[in-house]
Amino acid sequence: MNARSEVQAFDAADYAGAAVPSGAAAPSGAAAGTRPAQLRAVQVTKNFGGLNALDNVSLDLRPGEVHGLIGPNGSGKTTLLNLLSGYYQPTSGAIRLGEDDLSAAPVQHRARAGIARTFQKPRLLPMLSVLENAVLGAWPHARSGFLATTFALPWVRREDQALLAQATELLHGVGLGHVLNRRANLLDHAEQRFLEIARGLAMRPRFILLDEPAGGLTPQEIEHLANVVRTLRDSGIGVLLVEHHTDFVFRVCDRVTTLNVGRMIRHGLPDEVRLDPEVIRVYLGA
Amino acid sequence: MTTTVPASKIAGLVFGALLIATLPIWAGDQYQLHLAALIAVYWILIAGLNLVVGFTGQLSIGHVGLLSIGAYGFAILAGKAGWSPYAAMLASGALGGVCGLLLGLPSLRLPGFYFAMATMAFAMIVNELVMANPDLTGGGVGLPGPLFPAPFGTPTGFYYLVAGMAALVTWLTWNIARRMWGRAFISIRDNPVAAQAVGVPVLRAKLAAFVFSGVSAGVAGAVFASLQSYITPDTFVFELSLFFFVCIIIGGRGSLIGPLIGTAALTALPELVAPLAKLGNLFYGVLLLLVVLVVPEGIGRVFEIVGERLRPREVHREPVSPDLPRLARALKERA
Repeated sequence: MNARSEVQAFDAADYAGAAVPSGAAAPSGAAAGTRPAQLRAVQVTKNFGGLNALDNVSLDLRPGEVHGLIGPNGSGKTTLLNLLSGYYQPTSGAIRLGEDDLSAAPVQHRARAGIARTFQKPRLLPMLSVLENAVLGAWPHARSGFLATTFALPWVRREDQALLAQATELLHGVGLGHVLNRRANLLDHAEQRFLEIARGLAMRPRFILLDEPAGGLTPQEIEHLANVVRTLRDSGIGVLLVEHHTDFVFRVCDRVTTLNVGRMIRHGLPDEVRLDPEVIRVYLGA
Repeated sequence: MTTTVPASKIAGLVFGALLIATLPIWAGDQYQLHLAALIAVYWILIAGLNLVVGFTGQLSIGHVGLLSIGAYGFAILAGKAGWSPYAAMLASGALGGVCGLLLGLPSLRLPGFYFAMATMAFAMIVNELVMANPDLTGGGVGLPGPLFPAPFGTPTGFYYLVAGMAALVTWLTWNIARRMWGRAFISIRDNPVAAQAVGVPVLRAKLAAFVFSGVSAGVAGAVFASLQSYITPDTFVFELSLFFFVCIIIGGRGSLIGPLIGTAALTALPELVAPLAKLGNLFYGVLLLLVVLVVPEGIGRVFEIVGERLRPREVHREPVSPDLPRLARALKERA
């Protein structure tokens, strides 16, 4: 019994944190005041044993922008993404959301703080439907405690309906409206990628980190993805795009950061980065 | 898909309810009624355990320990201490929940295999403690399990009591399974990394499922003691724990109806079909082997496969084409 009330209290406490308005133009800075909160990596270094995966890299992700992160394999892109989303903790440096230091915060805490992510290899629940996979993303906003759910109290039912309705809208929005009830293990690759994005959006995030979302997509599907990413940006979400399809990156990003062997080699507007001799030398090729 | 229940399912549910409600009328003899009550008692425990094993994917093989605690709690409180059996049953449930919490708090942090070992050790410890305290538990001699007062004192009355309780537990777990908590449980089972990414508090969620199963096991223990009318440490052998586990695995993970069928079939078959009774554990073993090798998703999957053969479902592909205005609207409404 004790555990259940604990769980419920826990839910309520989360909510106080997660209920910060995360809208587009609305100043969503948690404590900072007028400037909307940024998600920042401040001079982070990450060592794995003797391997220096990231060396003193800084990056700031603003609400309502698409930020590209490119670089050769092994340059530390995914490591940085894992630091931002909390799967790793920095060896030195800090991860900040607005004024809050998230460096040591666990993954779940970042989800509640409004940071969503997708994975290089989509991580879905194979036996659940598309709709149920997407609505799982609404977990940070589900207030129903375990005990209330066992008895299916009226407001628990209402909340579940509301979350399902919202996920349904998002799925129609990203183009999966025709497969709402299909089991996730029957989806093709592109559908899985878009479903992961929909699940991330169900978290109503302030920032979404996309790990190679264009991997394995056809040119036409990449075009759809670009449109979705622009729509996210226009609604005020900050999008971090870790990607190898450089055309796609330079087309949709507002700013681009390039990494090479754990160091930042160039950061700036897409055209600046594209024409940088060092970037061309190590990554883009002549 | 979770919002509406198809008519065929409702029809099945009504038919099943009628079958259960009229069972004392068409059951051949007292023994069959006893068997039906035993299935209901087992199901009270297994329904809760199903949330732990079938949904959350935590392989507990120690629930016989919790059953034993509930049974002895009931026998001591309703027998020696003279409590009303109803109060004693509630106390057994609470005791099972507390023990579930105490067991789950350290052990649910362990990865799969080690968790299973911890629960097994728990079951063994419980049996040793029962043996070591003969003043309280009767030791090897055991304790009588008191009957419930009228109208539940007769075999038929008792059957209705446990059938009603089984239905209640089923309803509770069904409520969990089809809402956010159930999805969170399945995410812990199928993809813990994704579960964390969406903010599911993994340990707390496991603990919630485990404490629930502790309460249901405690309550099941109380009615089990009453049904058996006498309990000894030999009643709570470790094989019983494996039996609960096997019912769920054979029935299918992530389903309610599968484990229910598994429980009914595995309890009744060896009793009703005499040759199987001789084989005993061999029957369970072979069945488990067959299921794990041929249909790892459980027997429920067999019906699905047959259904798909009879009526091939065409998966028609359509390109993903986003509806951007709708997406923008959905994103705006989120605040």
